[in-house]
Amino acid sequence: MIDLDTPTLLEITLRTLGVCLTSLSIALLLGVPLGIWLGSRLFPGRRWLLGLVNSGMGAPPVVIGLIVAQMFYRSGPLGHFELWYSVQAMVVAQVLLALPLVIALVVAAVASLDPDWQLQVKTLGIPTPWRMLLLLREIRLGLLAAVIAALGGTLSEVGAVMQTGGNLEGETRVLTTSILMYTQMGLFESAYALAAVLLGLMLVLAGLLTWVQYGERR
Amino acid sequence: MKTALLAENLEILKKSKGGDFELIIPELAIYRDEVLVILGPNGSGKSTLLRTLAGVDIPYAGTLKQKTNGRVTMVFQRPIAFAGSVLHNARIALRAQGLSKQVVEKRSQDALTHFGIAHLSERPASELSGGELRRLALARAFALEPAVLLLDEPFDDLDARAQEALSTDLRNAVAQTGTAVVVVTHDLQRAALVSDRIAVLLQGRMRQIGTQSEVLNQPVDRETAELVGMSNLIQAELDSQGLAHFGSGQAIQTKSVNSPGPVYIGLRPEHLKLELSLQGQTILNEVRVTALASDGLLTTLHLDWGGETLRTHLVAGRGLARQIDIGTPLSLSVLPEDVHILSRN
Repeated sequence: MIDLDTPTLLEITLRTLGVCLTSLSIALLLGVPLGIWLGSRLFPGRRWLLGLVNSGMGAPPVVIGLIVAQMFYRSGPLGHFELWYSVQAMVVAQVLLALPLVIALVVAAVASLDPDWQLQVKTLGIPTPWRMLLLLREIRLGLLAAVIAALGGTLSEVGAVMQTGGNLEGETRVLTTSILMYTQMGLFESAYALAAVLLGLMLVLAGLLTWVQYGERR
Repeated sequence: MKTALLAENLEILKKSKGGDFELIIPELAIYRDEVLVILGPNGSGKSTLLRTLAGVDIPYAGTLKQKTNGRVTMVFQRPIAFAGSVLHNARIALRAQGLSKQVVEKRSQDALTHFGIAHLSERPASELSGGELRRLALARAFALEPAVLLLDEPFDDLDARAQEALSTDLRNAVAQTGTAVVVVTHDLQRAALVSDRIAVLLQGRMRQIGTQSEVLNQPVDRETAELVGMSNLIQAELDSQGLAHFGSGQAIQTKSVNSPGPVYIGLRPEHLKLELSLQGQTILNEVRVTALASDGLLTTLHLDWGGETLRTHLVAGRGLARQIDIGTPLSLSVLPEDVHILSRN
């Protein structure tokens, strides 16, 4: 028996999309400039930073969730924001998980450009804002890969969002935490219904991005 | 000649896997309306010098003075195309400078037409062949109407016909725009194709700068002579009458009188005149063919001249080239003005 009505399903799905797309947008806003900077500059400590980013890609979500949860816990260093078990805390955890993926894939895309690419743009007298636009266009396939990877990571994440959001009904419940909850309750039909929605979302979004990527390659 | 760019007392550190070394350029003037070729072997510092002239690498001493208005731009050894169509590539730098749409259209179309790729305007630049990509890089640079254009090995990976066509288009573009062009290459034939002047760079030092004819026919030292194709270099003693005596007992008349001493005699392969020896004829300078090889266009001959080895070329399959074989005796003559004298010190 499915213990789930349509408005609730819609609410959970929209919240999931909201958390996922907000985290993704923040991760892209922070990660793309950082990735471009790391990929195009040589400076002492760069290798160390790249190592840190690469390690971040493999960071266990529960550990990130633990750290963020503790930060926002009432007695934690950011407790005064009163964000423990909130959508905002979930977004922070998701951003921390997606950020290394975005940075690493952008670094790889920038590093794959011809070493003289930046110099060619410079000697043609192309001003900085135009250079950035040209660069983004040049690394668009790498950017799409970063978006797909980060989207997959944030949409399917469960451990960290459970720790930071707490799966509160009507407040922080998202698709993954609901599936976990219904599974633990033995309500497998509801869990499967939510899983189908999650998979459908993933397929539509990733499929759309892959179609764009494929179109570019052609 | 109006100077477009003047480099004075440049000292540049060239970093390479084989070891770092210093490039020292006391003075290098680049003129409007001419093609200056910087010729040197691989690793001599040509590209480093070019990047310094472009302002990409910073010298640790010396000055670069731009004497005319306009941009100094560069086309790299591996031509770089931006994502998008050929036309987008030709337009992008012009649009970024805020020029009007009409000016951008005219300049980009003119440049593409000049370099023979206007018909490829809508094609993605990533689909161009190596030669087309080079033409696009040149068109994009010329569309900017730069004061100085720096080209790093622009003929790389092109067949002989494409090199010739590109050099003609390049020369025409220089004539039309007055742009000062600097080309770096390690290849003498490519240098000869486009140059008004040649600067010889060896081990980070500018050995000689002069017109094409000066550098090819009057190299200043033995290494320069070898680099510019003066492949016949023989040790000799010059007497006060201008006669150069070789160890083999042979002698040759030069135009240098009153400066006796040990010298190298330099003879360009194309300046050796060879004739079949006729029976009964007294031959002053007899040579014998010791080796010959043909690439279909030219036959390269190795000649023994009383113990000295000389090298020359004949047009393959024609005239003398059809009548000789290994061991054939030939009569050698050289005009005194074609005998170049190099100090042995």
